[in-house]
Amino acid sequence: MSAGAAESSPPVVSVQQLVVTAKKKQPILRGISLDFPARSLTAVVGPSGCGKTTFVRSLNRMVELTPGLKVEGVVNYLGQNIYDPRVNPVLVRRRIGMVFQRPTVFPMSVFENAAFGLRLIHEAEDEIDAAVEEALQRAGLWDEVRDDLNRPALALSGGQQQRLCIARALAVRPRVLLMDEPTSALDPAATQRVEATMQRLKEEIVIVLVTHNVGQAARVSDRTAFLHSGHLVELGPTADILERPRDPLTQQFITGRFE
Amino acid sequence: MVPTPSADAPLGTPIAAPVPALAAQDVLFDRSARTTWRLGFDRWAGWLLPLLFLVAILPILDLVWYISKTAIPTLTWEILTSFNYRTVDALGVPIVSTVEVLALSTAFAVLLGVFGGIATAEFLSDRSAGWVRVSANMLAGTPSVVLGYFGFFTFCIYAGWGYVMMAGVLTLAFFMTPYIFRIADLAYTSIPRPIREAAYGSGTRPHQYIVKVATPIAFPQVLNGIFLAMAIGLGETAPIVLTTTGSKILPPNLFAPVTYMTALIWADFSSPSGSGGYDVALQCAFLLVVAVVGLNILVRVISARYRKRLEGLYQ
Repeated sequence: MSAGAAESSPPVVSVQQLVVTAKKKQPILRGISLDFPARSLTAVVGPSGCGKTTFVRSLNRMVELTPGLKVEGVVNYLGQNIYDPRVNPVLVRRRIGMVFQRPTVFPMSVFENAAFGLRLIHEAEDEIDAAVEEALQRAGLWDEVRDDLNRPALALSGGQQQRLCIARALAVRPRVLLMDEPTSALDPAATQRVEATMQRLKEEIVIVLVTHNVGQAARVSDRTAFLHSGHLVELGPTADILERPRDPLTQQFITGRFE
Repeated sequence: MVPTPSADAPLGTPIAAPVPALAAQDVLFDRSARTTWRLGFDRWAGWLLPLLFLVAILPILDLVWYISKTAIPTLTWEILTSFNYRTVDALGVPIVSTVEVLALSTAFAVLLGVFGGIATAEFLSDRSAGWVRVSANMLAGTPSVVLGYFGFFTFCIYAGWGYVMMAGVLTLAFFMTPYIFRIADLAYTSIPRPIREAAYGSGTRPHQYIVKVATPIAFPQVLNGIFLAMAIGLGETAPIVLTTTGSKILPPNLFAPVTYMTALIWADFSSPSGSGGYDVALQCAFLLVVAVVGLNILVRVISARYRKRLEGLYQ
C-alpha cells in the first residue's frame, strides 16, 4: 500500500466535537474535532492549562478517572465511539495505551513490568518471553537491560524507567500510544533516547504526544495541533505551524510569549 | 526493525500500520458473558447498595426517631433554661456542666494531642516517634471503661480527690487525646515534602516552619480532629460515671461533684417509663444526638472548605 493510499484510509482515531466540562467551572475543552491517521505522530502543544492533558486523557477514557469531569462528543476508534455505553473502557485502554509525565514503573522486576499488561490479558506463558523482548526492543531499551531482566525496575535511571513504561504500554500491542509530556522529567540525553524511540514507533502506530516543548514537537512530530483555552486553534504539518503560523495566538505561543 | 504482520493476526503478533477491517482485538464493544454479567450486576448493585445502606442505618434512624418522638413533646424552654431543680426537672445545670467539662477536657486533650502530634511528626527521631504512635494507638484502643477505672484509681483514690469534676475532666481528656494526636500527627507528616523543603530551603527555622508554613496547611485537618474527638467525648459515659458523682448545682470549683449528661442518662434511664427521670434521660439523649450531629456537620463543612482552599497541593 502506498503512502498516498494510507493517507486516504480512514483515521484510526477521529475526534468529533469533544467537550469536557468540570463542575461549576469554565469548560476545559470546548468542542475539538480532529483525526489521527495511521502511522502519524501528532504533537499537541499549547500554554499551561489549555486542556492538552485533558484532551489526551479523553482519547482513552482515562479522563473518567478524574472525578467531576463530564465528557460530551464522539471519539471514534476505528469507527467505534469509545464513549458508547456498550463499550468496555478496559478494552479501549488496551488498544489506546498511555505513557505519563513521570516514569511510573511498578516495584517489580524489569521483566515483570514489561509483562504486566500481557499477564492482564492472560497471554500464554510461553508467548510472554518473546513479547517482552519485542516490546523492550521497540521501546529501545532491550540492549541496556537484556543482561539482567530480573533486576528491580526502580533501580533503572529515569530515562530507562520511562522507556520501560513505553515498553509496558507497547507489550499489549496497542494501535495508539498517548504520551503526556513523556520527557519533562528527564535529562537531555534521556530525552533524546525517548525521542528516538518515538520516531521509530511512529512508523508502526499512532502517537499523540503532548508536549510543552516546541522544539520537541519540531524534532519528532509530523503534525502539530495548537490548543488554546480549550479550542483547537490550528492544526497542520509541524513545519507549517512552526514556521508559518496562520493564527496570531499560535505565533505568540511559538515565539515564546506565553507560558 | 520489528516486523509488522497483518492486523487480523491473533493477539501476540505486532499489528500492521494501515487500518484494515476490524480485527478481533480492535472490537471495543464487549458482549462477553463475563462483561454482560458484570454490567447486569452493576445495575442490580445500583439498587442493592442503597438498600443495604438503608438496612445499616435503620437502627440509627429508629433510635433517633424514638428519642425525638418521646423527648421533643416534653421538652420546654423552661426545662432547657432553668437551673432550679426544685420546680421542674431542669436541664440548665446538666447542660452547662457538660459544656464546662467537655471544654476543659478538650483544652487538655488539645494541648497534649496537638503538641504531641507536632513533636512526633517533626521533632522526634523515627524510633521514638514509632513508640509514641504505638502508645497512642493502644490508648485509642483501650475501652473507655478501663480508662475510667484508671481515672478512678489515679485521681479519686491515690490523689485523694474523691468523685470530683477534675477527675472526670482529666480522664475524659486522656480518652480524647489519642484521637486528636493521631489526626495532628497525620496532618503534619502528610504535608508534601516539596513544601517542607521549600520552607527550609528559604532559611526557615524549625519553629518558624511549624508556625508559618505547616500549621496553616494542617490546621483545618487538626480542627476536624478536635471536633471529632469532642463528638466522641460528648457521648462517653464510663470515664465520667466512674470518676464523678452527680450534682444538682453547677460545680463551684474544679473539685466539686458535677453532672455530665451521659452520666445523667446512665443514672435516670432505669427509672420507670413516664416518670420524671425517664423523661430527663430521653431529653438529654435528644440534646446529645443534636450536638453530635451538629459537630459532625461542622466537621464536614470544614473539610469541604479545606479541600477547596488546598486544591492542587496534594497531588
